[in-house]
Amino acid sequence: MTEKDDNRGIKRQHYAALGVGFVCVIIGLPLWWKTTEVYRVSLPYSDIADLTNVKIKCVIDVDVINTEPSLTDNNLADLSRIITASLGQGQEKVVHSSYRVSVRQGNDQQKSEVLKTADVKGLDTTFSKQDVLNHYQMVLLPKQSGVKVKRSHVSNGRAAYFTTAEKDLQTIAQEITNVVHSIFVKESTLLKTFRDRITSKRLKPDKESMRSVKSALGYDILFTLVNPQPDILDIQWDIKQAVRDFLGPLSEKLKEYVSLNIQSQVIYFTGLYKRPKKDSKLGEFYYTEKDLPLLINPLEAKLGSHASSNPSLNFLVYIPSREQHPLFIMDQSGSKVPSNSFLSPRWGGIYIYNVKSPSQNASLPHEVSLNMKQVMEVFISQLRLLLNLNNQIPDSTDVGNQAIRLWELDGWLRQRCIENLATSIHTLQSLTQLLERISNIVINDDIGNEVEEALSGIRQSQRYLAVGQLDKAFIQSRKALAASDKAFFDPSLLELLYFPEDQKFAIYIPLFLPISLPILGSLYKTFQWMKTKRKTKQE
Amino acid sequence: MLKAADRVNVEEHFQSSHTNNWAVLVDTSRFWFNYRHVANVLSVYRSCKRLGIPDSHIILMVADDMACNPRNPRPGTVFNNANEQINVYGDDVEVDYRGYEVTVENFIRVLTGRLSPSTPRSKRLLSDEHSNVLVYMTGHGGEGFLKFQDAEEISNVELADAFEQMWQKQRYHELFYMIDTCQAESMFQKFYSPNILAVASSKVGEDSLSHHVDPKIGVYVIDRYTYFALEFLETVEPGSRKTMGQFLRVCPKHQCISTVAIRTDLFPRDPDKVPLTDFFGSVRNVEILTSTIQLDNVTVARDDGEYCR
Repeated sequence: MTEKDDNRGIKRQHYAALGVGFVCVIIGLPLWWKTTEVYRVSLPYSDIADLTNVKIKCVIDVDVINTEPSLTDNNLADLSRIITASLGQGQEKVVHSSYRVSVRQGNDQQKSEVLKTADVKGLDTTFSKQDVLNHYQMVLLPKQSGVKVKRSHVSNGRAAYFTTAEKDLQTIAQEITNVVHSIFVKESTLLKTFRDRITSKRLKPDKESMRSVKSALGYDILFTLVNPQPDILDIQWDIKQAVRDFLGPLSEKLKEYVSLNIQSQVIYFTGLYKRPKKDSKLGEFYYTEKDLPLLINPLEAKLGSHASSNPSLNFLVYIPSREQHPLFIMDQSGSKVPSNSFLSPRWGGIYIYNVKSPSQNASLPHEVSLNMKQVMEVFISQLRLLLNLNNQIPDSTDVGNQAIRLWELDGWLRQRCIENLATSIHTLQSLTQLLERISNIVINDDIGNEVEEALSGIRQSQRYLAVGQLDKAFIQSRKALAASDKAFFDPSLLELLYFPEDQKFAIYIPLFLPISLPILGSLYKTFQWMKTKRKTKQE
Repeated sequence: MLKAADRVNVEEHFQSSHTNNWAVLVDTSRFWFNYRHVANVLSVYRSCKRLGIPDSHIILMVADDMACNPRNPRPGTVFNNANEQINVYGDDVEVDYRGYEVTVENFIRVLTGRLSPSTPRSKRLLSDEHSNVLVYMTGHGGEGFLKFQDAEEISNVELADAFEQMWQKQRYHELFYMIDTCQAESMFQKFYSPNILAVASSKVGEDSLSHHVDPKIGVYVIDRYTYFALEFLETVEPGSRKTMGQFLRVCPKHQCISTVAIRTDLFPRDPDKVPLTDFFGSVRNVEILTSTIQLDNVTVARDDGEYCR
């Protein structure tokens, strides 16, 4: 072989090495990088971070309608000024309310009707005509009105009535402010709800927040009749009719906002395992308050499980067995609880229904049908507490068969709306924190869409709240909550989580090391050869 | 009428600050010679149920089916003691994740709630910010990991991250973590979320040992730490005043041979003042209904609106 051939061979070798190196670096590396890239939709991180400083403004309409002839338009203008000043405070808070106060004279029809009616019901019919969500009417009754109202009266609708007799404007304004702040719009509760939900830090929760179920799209309600001795007592309950009659109005009012999925069942041959104490003097049995916590669990095991993942509420009617009859609940002071029932937070309630025992000679089983009105009175009271509809006020107003007052509905919507917003914001922030920390989580398009939807829901809800459209604000907040939860709990967020960085080396090294060593080695040689060649040329 | 005035004097807070209890009980190892791990987890399951946590609130993950193993001389049973007095498999064991369903992924999914929408309610941990959660794990572990199914492992970092996500999404109020494995302490060293109390059967560098063999079955039937923990739990009744502090002192070195490790720095309360039933049982808060609303009889003719679905 000649030197020339040798040179040519070496030359070819080096060019081949350069070619292979070129393909690996220019085509191979980007291809590998592209194909192993973790797919991450860009999320609006800055928008989510901005939510930390969010301020929520609730606008509430307050109309003051005067039917007292002696109050002139000038008086009313003064009144308007005083009320606006005393209502509108606390602008700097995270959740604040702003009131649109309008003070006006009642129209002639209202004035004449007010004089004619003698009771509150009559007033309600007059003023319920203009009943609008989130819009409250404060009616100043004339001095010679036939309706006897002690200072003020809050109706089951969205109106409150105030007497004007022996009051100056300052007092009237003060009373109106009190009613608005303590009954219609509980600002401190709203603020607390928001603050509780926006962080994971938690203070010791009060009863109200522990008792009521979380805001959800729907609730499963299960009515259960527990009859330990069906061989002795044949208990009949017309739960279908009772639900229709007594729960129907409530269900109807809430149907746009939350779905109540109602079911019922009867279970036999099971009871309260804990033995009640016996009062031998009276021949009665009783449980003390300390016994009650232990009653629920053995029964719950028998209730069966709900199909959906909605929060569930259980309501049980327990018929005491013949040996433990009659059965009562004693409170701490040792007196019988009139309702003979108790509730457990976020779970439901138990009502002990004492049925008269059949006489010795009666043929068994003895048929008894339950008074469903009595049962539903207990259960609806408990349901109001568990759904947090109940705004406890020291004013004893009859809520009646509607089971919910209209202003309670407003308050509920407002509170749930704030709760949804806070929860949704917190969820989004936790999610972004998680995604920023763990860089190899896949974020697919669905999650991106859900996050966008949650953000738009939050913004729209805020906007609706700020113009006083409470129902729309609630619907949007519910949408935001559902979307943010869906994004956070998306099953795809786990798929690549268990592929830590250090394991990548373990996978790539056996593959890449045997290939890359000869390539890099020959490239190095080629570069050296080129260097020497260039030098010799220059010389 | 709402006799709401009656409520004024009622206390503002409930007795305990949680409303319900949940338990996630996991056995991660399969094969016949790991019989004792299944016995461990079923024994804890039994105690939780006896103390009042309903099946619907217990997620039981058992990696292998010892009761139906062909090598089991007494099919359909699992015993945790050579005396064979208590069949811990019992009549009503509700295993939620069984066999090859017990994976790291499923376990993390249960904790974080990232399950597919079709998952039934019984396989979900539906706890909220007022729930106390008990997490018990047993299996074969090493420093910083616990083996699942002989095929994969969960690391202490992953577990700590999962708990943090639970905390972020308000899925627990307080969490009690209990693990019986070798070098168990390493599993809770990386925890950083608040309100977690943890106990482990051994320190880093130590092995956890099994308790005794049942010659009729031919394998070890229970681990030392779980054995003595159960011995303690058996003395507890639903209304008991025993505390977590007492429970954490269970199984001193001369009984366990390994050193039981505890971690209390994340837990704000004094364990000696926390009733055991805050985690193992389910003592509910209750509230007596002092007044009811008054309904009127409905006599008007009604339409056929259907509300009972």
